[in-house]
Amino acid sequence: MKKIIALISCMFGLFVFMNVYHEPQVDAAEKTYTIGTDVTFPPFVYANSNNKYVGIDMELIRSIAKEEGFKVDIKPIGFNAAVQSLSSGQIDGVIAGMTITDERREKFDFSTPYYKSGIVMAVAPKSDVKSLKDLKGKRVAVKTGTSGATYANSIKDRYGFKTVTFDDSDNVYNDVKNGNSAACFDDSAVLNYGVKTGLGLKVVTKPTDTGSYGFAVEKGKNKELMAKFNSGLKKLKANGQYDKIIKKYTGESATSSQKKANDKADSEGHTFIGLIKQNKSAILEGIFETIKLTVVSIICATIFGVLVGLLGVLPSKVARGASTTIIYIFRGLPLLVLALFIYNGVPSLTGSKVPAFIAGIITLTLNEGAYTAAFVKGGIAAVDPGQMEAARSLGLPFGRSMRKVILPQGIKIMIPSFINQFIITLKDTSILSIIGILELTQTGKIIIARNLEGFKIWTIIALIYLIIITVLTLLSKWVERRIND
Amino acid sequence: MKNLKVDVTDLKKNFGDNHVLKGIDFKVAQNEVVVLIGPSGSGKSTLLRCLNRLEEPTSGKVIIDGNNISDSKTNIDQARENIGMVFQHFNLFNNLTVGQNVELAPVELGKMSKEEAVNAAKQLLSTVGLDDKYDAMPQSLSGGQKQRVAIARALAMNPDIMLFDEPTSALDPEMVGDVLTVMKDLAKKGMTMVVVTHEMGFAKEVADRVVFMADGKVMEEGKPEEVFDNPQNERTKTFLEKVINV
Repeated sequence: MKKIIALISCMFGLFVFMNVYHEPQVDAAEKTYTIGTDVTFPPFVYANSNNKYVGIDMELIRSIAKEEGFKVDIKPIGFNAAVQSLSSGQIDGVIAGMTITDERREKFDFSTPYYKSGIVMAVAPKSDVKSLKDLKGKRVAVKTGTSGATYANSIKDRYGFKTVTFDDSDNVYNDVKNGNSAACFDDSAVLNYGVKTGLGLKVVTKPTDTGSYGFAVEKGKNKELMAKFNSGLKKLKANGQYDKIIKKYTGESATSSQKKANDKADSEGHTFIGLIKQNKSAILEGIFETIKLTVVSIICATIFGVLVGLLGVLPSKVARGASTTIIYIFRGLPLLVLALFIYNGVPSLTGSKVPAFIAGIITLTLNEGAYTAAFVKGGIAAVDPGQMEAARSLGLPFGRSMRKVILPQGIKIMIPSFINQFIITLKDTSILSIIGILELTQTGKIIIARNLEGFKIWTIIALIYLIIITVLTLLSKWVERRIND
Repeated sequence: MKNLKVDVTDLKKNFGDNHVLKGIDFKVAQNEVVVLIGPSGSGKSTLLRCLNRLEEPTSGKVIIDGNNISDSKTNIDQARENIGMVFQHFNLFNNLTVGQNVELAPVELGKMSKEEAVNAAKQLLSTVGLDDKYDAMPQSLSGGQKQRVAIARALAMNPDIMLFDEPTSALDPEMVGDVLTVMKDLAKKGMTMVVVTHEMGFAKEVADRVVFMADGKVMEEGKPEEVFDNPQNERTKTFLEKVINV
């Protein structure tokens, strides 16, 4: 019992800690800002073969940070997640090839533009589509929340096409390449770069003059950071560094060397072994993060679930009602909604940040814990009520009858459900990729964003999950045997 | 009646609209063995279960050894320590050995040290003829053996009064005798007992008093020979004819 109380107090401690964890007051000179960015948006943002994030945006923000004397913590969580995290205050700024629009200005403050861009249309190399008119009755792929998507949606009625939305650029391109969609819309710099480096699409329209890219912070917040960005950008433009960066990523030599690199990766990376070798460190980190999430969640969810389950078998009607309500709510909510609510929803209400990992753990604890509570309750209810009557008739109080007689029998009934729940928890960690946790699934997405080897990488990721699940199952069976003996 | 062990006044118990006990007055003296008989559904078991508050009385008073059991302020756990109960379906703790079943309550409730409890358990198991089953699991026992362990378990708390709820109804006929023998021995030693049973032979032989219940009321009570040989109430007559002629 003491152990359980100690654990509960730890959990409470954690909650309290999280609630008071606002931005720590650090000396301005050493201040670290968390900057959200896209998973892949070359040449502005992408992971190179060492899984390090590079590109125009990355070099700009790092150079400006150096120039102005602050530190940046780059979070490549995807464009959509980055924008949402910025509006909920989870991160300080976003630089992700974001076009400055009036709609975005309502929620964000933008820096002086750092790049001029426009929207172009790209199609598969053998496509007949040459202009917007040819799109009638066809499907067009766009990426969530981009100005390419806004542009496509604004003209789709006029030209009579439909749009399909993806979260990652590589899914957009693949959809066009495999013929599901007739075309895609994206920023000209991005598509031109992609075409030059062997993306396998062709650009068929002239760029629209839709505007420029800007660095964004939440409206009215982080004024200091914005000022530093603007002054840093001005300095980089004055001393020529800005032009160097742009040239490095868009110049002929850059794109051709990147194409060579891509071709080289292609030639050695077509085998499974080759792909694993190239991405070894990223995959290992993904596995480690997944295991960490799984283990911590299983522990927290089991404690939470057992407590809520026990609450549900107490004689008090209030306790039973509370247990039923908790189970009803958290079993009823889709895991995805719960994750986004905790990571993005709650912080925008309370104004305090929740680190993604903690948000992930809370999500899994509540959801998996609700399922655990349900079968804990069921397991206890499955014990013959005569056992409780016999214990109580001897003068044993309720709690002790539970502990000495009912629970030992109930736990045996629950063990298969526990093992099942552990496996489900492991699989459900993949859903946390939505809030940008770099676990196995998100790692897979990022690798594919770079090398477009969807089938092979997902096969590798799937096999890794199966292996971890097998180990987890064997471990659980071993524990089960120990308990039953 | 002197040294009243059980004193029940105007006890009523409803399950929803079902009025199972309709105002029972029921007394048991120290060392007395009272057998409750009556058709099924007459409320015998419910009355017995009200005596240690496994059922919450709807109204009325239940006083055991001067403790008002029906008062929610009474520490019911403490009161139950002195009221042993034996169930129709034994209810042995399936997760514990026979020995642990007997030792659990005295040790947990601080009545005995572990050592004392082990000795007491062995002693009790030998009085019910099961000294060789100390380490057995309940699942490996026959019904008659289980019920004798259940009696030993209740006795380990050294109760003043023992309640038996149809202790032989779930047993094969050849097992009934062993259990009844143990109960007879207990009666001879002067244990105060309230027994719900259909064993009329046991009632005739051991009971100091027989109480006949029907429709949630006490219809008739008296010494076994009075009730069995010369029943006054029509319901008693019909019931006994049916039971004894079979």
